[in-house]
Amino acid sequence: MKDVAIIGVGLHPWGKFPEKPWTQMAKEAIDEALADAGVQWKDIGFVISGSQLWGGRKGIYSGTYTEEVMGNVGVPVVNVNNACATGGTMLTVAAMAVASGAADLVLAVSADKSAKGFFPALPVYHEEPVPSDDTLRWNMGLPNPVYWALEMRKRMIKYGDTEEHLAKVKVLMSKHGKLNPKARYQREFTLEEVLNSAMVTDPLRLYEICATSDGAGAAILCSKEKAKQFTSKPIYMMASALGSPLYGDPTARIPVVSINPKPGVPVISESWVAAHRAYEEAGIGPEDIDFVELPDNSAWHVLQYIETMDFCGEGEACACLNRGDFAIGGRIPVCPSGGFSSFGEATMAQGFAQLYEMVLQLRGVCGPRQVEGAKVGMSEVYGAAGNNAAVILRK
Amino acid sequence: MADNKQVLIGENLFDMSGGEPALIVTHCKSCGDYFFPKTFTCHNPECKEKQVEDTLLSRRGVIENYSIMNYPPPPPFVAKDPYEPIVCAAVQFPEGIVIIGMMENMTADQVKIGMEVEVTVGTLYTNKNGEDIIAWKFRAV
Repeated sequence: MKDVAIIGVGLHPWGKFPEKPWTQMAKEAIDEALADAGVQWKDIGFVISGSQLWGGRKGIYSGTYTEEVMGNVGVPVVNVNNACATGGTMLTVAAMAVASGAADLVLAVSADKSAKGFFPALPVYHEEPVPSDDTLRWNMGLPNPVYWALEMRKRMIKYGDTEEHLAKVKVLMSKHGKLNPKARYQREFTLEEVLNSAMVTDPLRLYEICATSDGAGAAILCSKEKAKQFTSKPIYMMASALGSPLYGDPTARIPVVSINPKPGVPVISESWVAAHRAYEEAGIGPEDIDFVELPDNSAWHVLQYIETMDFCGEGEACACLNRGDFAIGGRIPVCPSGGFSSFGEATMAQGFAQLYEMVLQLRGVCGPRQVEGAKVGMSEVYGAAGNNAAVILRK
Repeated sequence: MADNKQVLIGENLFDMSGGEPALIVTHCKSCGDYFFPKTFTCHNPECKEKQVEDTLLSRRGVIENYSIMNYPPPPPFVAKDPYEPIVCAAVQFPEGIVIIGMMENMTADQVKIGMEVEVTVGTLYTNKNGEDIIAWKFRAV
């Protein structure tokens, strides 16, 4: 298998762009990635794109339409959907295409315009004799943050995590996000402001839940040998691992209405599986990671993922937060990009916001939010229904 | 509204034949696990025989966890105007399975972890056609 390198990245800023088609956002991200790599569109031999949830037929076949926008060249196009873990999943598929030798220069691109507010139900055209969990939960009034709130309350009971800890997470993410010109929210939030924001799904408040955004990102991957043609400083992929849940997972994962908890099975098991598989693939451990971009859909996610990814022991995340471990300059900087908290989530494209930050951090070009001496970075994305992908990159 | 047409959220979810509602679950006779909603196979990867049968779950369980929906849920849910926060609970049953449902006649300050509840049937919301959408719910005993 060939070693995989990332030679170019592009990122459209995150925000709301009602006047701009997603195809245009995708093109801008691709153009930036091509220019970054020094590659022409006609040199690309394989395209992987994220299938959208709210884009209709065109959004489902997003890669096929993006290839048309860039100019049809007849290359293979794969449209991928693994819920909000799509971005990370695409990188795994892209790495497989490069490593197997199936493709020379691979473009991974994802653009998304997420639904506003709470994500609503999607239409179901063939309901089964027993209604699906998704039909049940939307009718019951269970949008995604309810599930996160249920998990957060478990932590409060078990470990004594508090509402103030949740607010501190948001404050920290905002300190990082204000330094990122690609972020949607580039300002610092105060603890008081977060604690005074509306309670949405108790115990999660408005500012502790990520917004929904439009965004687009792209990356160009090739073999380590091929990369030498384009750059003297490629970024290498050490691992790109997917995970699915373990039976008996105690988590109320989106969109279930029942849980069969079994002793010894980790919470968010699909995330635990992907993270540990990534460590194994890379041959390193959490102590070797210089910073992490994790999926902070809510402040709960930060506290849980830190433990699930083994950056601290079970129940210790809040103590580490209080010590300043997760700040840029701390023991394990969390989301130096500002995270979903500062970007909002553009579901299928979100993994690319993480990737862009990781590549820039490893190149050492992040200016005031640079993690000093960063050599190895890790990211993880968390998708509904048990989807997950973890990526480890190095200089 | 008592006069509204009642529409079930779905078929095969609960049984009223005993007078009181009970949830329909699938029980695996081979490994002992329970599944809700009912299903056509056992999902335990360690289970080889997967001999399943539909049965009724115990009617009473204990609140293991809860959240309060302080904001009106998105469509298809139709929130009351003015909106009243909804209490959502995860209830542990003696069979080991945890089931999520809405609490009937319970406010945010009343819900407690460890509270004993029973399965009931009630209205989730009234849709634009004036139909009450009905599902399983839980109420304090």
